Amino acid sequence: MSVDWSWIGDHTDELTSLTLSHLQAALSAVFFGVLISLPLAVIAHRFRPLRGFLLGISNVLFTIPSIAIFVLLLPVSGLTRTTTVIGLTVYTLVVLLRNTVEGLDSVPAKTKEAAKAMGTRPLRTLLTVEFPLALPVIMAGVRIATVMSISLVSVATYIGDGGLGQLFTDGFQRNFPTPVIVGVVLTILLAVVADALLVALQYVLTPWRRRRA
Amino acid sequence: MNRRTVLGGLFAAASVPALSACASGVTSLDGSGSASGGGGSSKGGVTIGTANFTENQVLGYLYAAALKQAGVKVTVRPNLGTREIVIPALKSGDIDLLPEYQGALLNYLDPKATAAEEGAMQNALTLALPKGLQILPYGAAEDSDAFVVTRETAKKYGLTSLADLKKQNGKLVLGAAPEVKKRRVGAVGLKDVYGVDLKEFKSLDSDGPLVKGALKKGDVDVANLFTTDTDIEANDWVVLADPANLIPSQHIVPLIADRKADDTVRKALARLGNVLTTAQLTELNRLVDKDKKDPEEVADDYAKRHGLAE
Amino acid sequence: MYELLKNLGTWLTSGASWSGSDGITHRLAEHLQYSLLATLIAAAIGLPIGLLIGHTGKGAFLAINLSSFGRALPTVGLVVLVFLAGGLSMLPVYVALVALAVPAIVTNTYAGMTAVDPDVRDAARGQGMRGHQVLFQVELPLALPLIMTGLRLALIQVVATATIAAYVSFGGLGRYVFDGLAQRDLVQVLGGAVLVAVVAVALDLLLSGLQRLLFRHRTA
Repeated sequence: MSVDWSWIGDHTDELTSLTLSHLQAALSAVFFGVLISLPLAVIAHRFRPLRGFLLGISNVLFTIPSIAIFVLLLPVSGLTRTTTVIGLTVYTLVVLLRNTVEGLDSVPAKTKEAAKAMGTRPLRTLLTVEFPLALPVIMAGVRIATVMSISLVSVATYIGDGGLGQLFTDGFQRNFPTPVIVGVVLTILLAVVADALLVALQYVLTPWRRRRA
Repeated sequence: MNRRTVLGGLFAAASVPALSACASGVTSLDGSGSASGGGGSSKGGVTIGTANFTENQVLGYLYAAALKQAGVKVTVRPNLGTREIVIPALKSGDIDLLPEYQGALLNYLDPKATAAEEGAMQNALTLALPKGLQILPYGAAEDSDAFVVTRETAKKYGLTSLADLKKQNGKLVLGAAPEVKKRRVGAVGLKDVYGVDLKEFKSLDSDGPLVKGALKKGDVDVANLFTTDTDIEANDWVVLADPANLIPSQHIVPLIADRKADDTVRKALARLGNVLTTAQLTELNRLVDKDKKDPEEVADDYAKRHGLAE
Repeated sequence: MYELLKNLGTWLTSGASWSGSDGITHRLAEHLQYSLLATLIAAAIGLPIGLLIGHTGKGAFLAINLSSFGRALPTVGLVVLVFLAGGLSMLPVYVALVALAVPAIVTNTYAGMTAVDPDVRDAARGQGMRGHQVLFQVELPLALPLIMTGLRLALIQVVATATIAAYVSFGGLGRYVFDGLAQRDLVQVLGGAVLVAVVAVALDLLLSGLQRLLFRHRTA
């Protein structure tokens, strides 16, 4: 099994566009995942009885094979990018929801009381006190969700999308290892870079933690 | 990607049936099965979809080359899946044009259809097509399904035709793509037409590495392959004859949405259909499968050499 | 939607869909076999690594980073790659499933080990316990809850992902998903998906029950 280097050289344009499309799918999923899980996490954090229910649902969704989710979405959103993004978003929820709830739980009660004593309104407390303090745990979830999504995008190759995953079906059909190897390597590189950027983002977003680190 | 585009996508999908109902008013039948006139326009560009096997991708890119030459903007979406996936996508508007095969398409649309000759099939197809879709004139090239056994299996069981399979009822394993289990040119037709009872049906792939690997290894006795696959000859495999004509004529035919079918598209694809022969298509498949050339490159090259592109 | 659920009910309750080589019983057994074997192999690889780096504190940075990028390995790509290298066998499926499970096991085992109170560790050493005694009699029991969490997480992921076996012609519940996709038979796809989810949840409940049982013995 050898790598055909000239194939790589001849396909840089295609590889670039597949990589970008791959990244776009994964990042959209994480974006929608955060958008959905933030309010749900606040609900789960405030109303204890709903917590088990919401976390339970996200857990069960996680156990459904991703390929099945994509196929079941076909009657709704067809062979489109939308199908890919909805499917991937479902998988990010399990990590994002759990981490956001845990992050909110980890904010000391005294801090919240202090904010209340200072006359800060609940929504303002949430936005300016609780979320920032919960950020490290939330960001840990975002990092895992991002890496996971990047690895999962390729499953959508079974419905004609899948970014770099298209290299896998191509190599498979033609008994041609080069595209497959390139696809695997680029997927991992993408995950490493995205993860590093998220670490940097967290560093910028939480200036008060730098002294400790 | 924002919420508005998601909703927009849903809305677009929901509005397609209404649009195609209007378009169907101008669809008429003629000998070639193509609609005359019609409200279609390729001005906004045409999206070509292809199924999940090499030859269909080659054909998709050949269509693309021919249309580009005619000044149509094209996008190719290769490797979308089986006919069962791709045709609904054509109806819903995710794609506009698809390289198809007469017999297989007719079987899909109307499993009871009996037409076997090209012309009759073209008419039967036109009658069977759902609203909003039409076929264009068929091309000269063909690619049929074939039921194939290894030379050893042929000798061992004395197999030369599909009719011989019955003698080994309950003993033979058929390997094919999953959809073939429920297709007439597959487990269903073998039983109905030739009285064949299989020991097992193994879900593999469409003339891909799984089904060919399994035939080589002996995991399956009979494999469903395509006649344009050079591996059949290279491995000295035996194609079983089809005395009862279970396998229909399989000329390549463009399946297109009414909304995109205009004169420009029709003429460009007819020109390609007249030029491309079965032998040439077989060679193009070989270039992609064996020499690892890109289907797009192979198709563009061919189009240039035959004056279908600059 | 209602029609789909009604057909799903019919499919799940008809005797015909449970029997034979393509029946649910057989596919379920295959799926369990793939998942459990892959998770066992992954545990045999991941547990020693996690325990060792947790106990010695050496190589943690490398192992944890490798694990986190192990998560990025695309399962489909790995299956295809091993298939192209070694031909048609169950090997590609097992390699991909094990690669999926090892990171969760390593990181959770390591997390469990580092969560052990250093004072407890020192006390054990102070009583004259040797390295392996500290590991097996003190650290391991204390780290067990997190280790079990890792194993459960790995198993759930493996059960959901074992559907990939059907892509390279093997069985398991993924057969219904891939065949249903090719035949555009959503009832089959949904049936396969529901069965996979049920298996994953059931195994998870089983393991968490086991975990509680182990705890009760220890505190008693």
